[in-house]
Amino acid sequence: MAWTKPIPVVEKVMKPFWEGLKNHRFLLMKCNECGAWYWPATYCRNHRNKPFFGSLSWTDASGQGKIISFNVTRVAMRPAFKDETPYVYALIQLSEGPIISSNIINCPAESVHIDMPVRVVYRDVAEINLTIPYFEPL
Amino acid sequence: METHRLSGKYAIAGLGMVVGVPEKELAKRKADLPGHPMLEHAIPSPVLDLSAKDLEAEAARRAIEDAGLSNKDIDGAVHVHGGPRSGRGVIEHMDAFPRMLGLPVNFYYHCGRGGGWGTIGIITALSFLELGLAKYVVIAGSREDWTRSHRRDVREQGVRGQVNLASVAGMWGPTFGRTAAAHDHSMFATRHRHEYGTTEEQFGAGAIQVRAWACKNPLALMYGRPATMEDYLASPMYIAPYHLMDMAVTTDGAVAFVLTSMERARDCPKPPVAVLGIGYGDAQGGQWWEGAAHYTRLPVAKAKEAAFGQAGIAIQDIDVAQFYDCFTAELILQLEDYGWCAKGEGGAYIEAGHIGPGGATPANTSGGLLSAYHLADMTGLSEAIFQLRGEAQERQVPNARISLVTGHGGEVFAPGMCSIHTSLVLGRP
Repeated sequence: MAWTKPIPVVEKVMKPFWEGLKNHRFLLMKCNECGAWYWPATYCRNHRNKPFFGSLSWTDASGQGKIISFNVTRVAMRPAFKDETPYVYALIQLSEGPIISSNIINCPAESVHIDMPVRVVYRDVAEINLTIPYFEPL
Repeated sequence: METHRLSGKYAIAGLGMVVGVPEKELAKRKADLPGHPMLEHAIPSPVLDLSAKDLEAEAARRAIEDAGLSNKDIDGAVHVHGGPRSGRGVIEHMDAFPRMLGLPVNFYYHCGRGGGWGTIGIITALSFLELGLAKYVVIAGSREDWTRSHRRDVREQGVRGQVNLASVAGMWGPTFGRTAAAHDHSMFATRHRHEYGTTEEQFGAGAIQVRAWACKNPLALMYGRPATMEDYLASPMYIAPYHLMDMAVTTDGAVAFVLTSMERARDCPKPPVAVLGIGYGDAQGGQWWEGAAHYTRLPVAKAKEAAFGQAGIAIQDIDVAQFYDCFTAELILQLEDYGWCAKGEGGAYIEAGHIGPGGATPANTSGGLLSAYHLADMTGLSEAIFQLRGEAQERQVPNARISLVTGHGGEVFAPGMCSIHTSLVLGRP
């Protein structure tokens, strides 16, 4: 099926994250000095930083977390999502701390709840040359 | 209480607005209510070939006239808007209202963020006034969302709601169907329901009470369409937990106002509306690390402290509140965060009928963004001016002397949005 959804804009600072996804690795930024985790690209808040994120390294993370809030789209606002309804869009707090958002798939929309443990699922989309990270119940 | 040395030194001397009402509906209202003052601000939607700059120029022209001034008196101008959204500016036209009106301005530029248009415009204009670089500043902002979202080609593609950006640099959500502001804002509703047991009916009560105000304002999109709880529960569930009635309307329109010194404003024909206090809150520094706690409150604390402190007021001094009600959760959150009730009790507070006509905390008396017109915080700002001048007609809050106007929003990197809060205290001297 043709990819008609909005294509993510891959910024230079986020490129390692997207490259990681292609290899089915879930990378977050980790501070080399104090171990704090970040996503998306963020300078470490805890101390001085080397230029251009030099204090941080993209590091393998668990790809797991829990849902802290969500909504269920029943009426699609854009045609690309018409055949997806009802779909769940959720805020996920990753085990390492940062928050990401994605769809919760592979389960009925009505089974999704706050505090539900979830894990990343990779979907390779050849035509846009990207791997999109979705989440499913753990 | 003590006040800031600038509190009350500057005032709004003139207001101009044009608000789109669907063409046939407007003709009916004009026939039913001949000469109603609120309908003087109405224009037929769609606005078709009129663009944002045209609406702003007309609103500015009206504001200058309302202040009893002529174009040659205006020596400063600010265009306010929702701000650049991470990698994309919002300047969509290459002509500007001061040029169109021939205003001999000493300065003109664009500013704003999220829904904090008018308040951010005042903050920037104040420095020019205070430095003696301008005497009369006109501040204007506009939207043409109704026309854009009702265009036949757009509707036929199956696009609904506000027509805005898709994917831009720094924006994460669109790929996952984060295609409407409700996809971000409803996260607050879901979380509030989870933490505090807030009910669907309590969200509905907010929508219904704001609608009741709209039914007293013939300029409001939803004028003549009162709603019951039955209507709310039957309102289509677009993005659960949000029904259609939990979401703001889209409108065409523009608001402009003239800011000057209180001394000069006293010589203008309309009663001056004093700027008593301004505050700003921003959650950007914390939200990614705070986790769930971010999704049950807004960055009100610092904004409130600054604005109330400058004005020398407490919450009980506010006669009428104009909350930024882009969605129903924002009503609940702001009632709590400002302290009208404790955290978690906002739903019950609204359910008791406090914000609607006849309530103890009359709020969003125009019908707000939910039911009247969406011109960001300029909806609340214009309504505060009507209330404090005693021009609010059927919805006038008796003896209103102090009004709060709030702004909210600001996309950062979905879902880390809703990061700003502006707090503006206006008063009748």
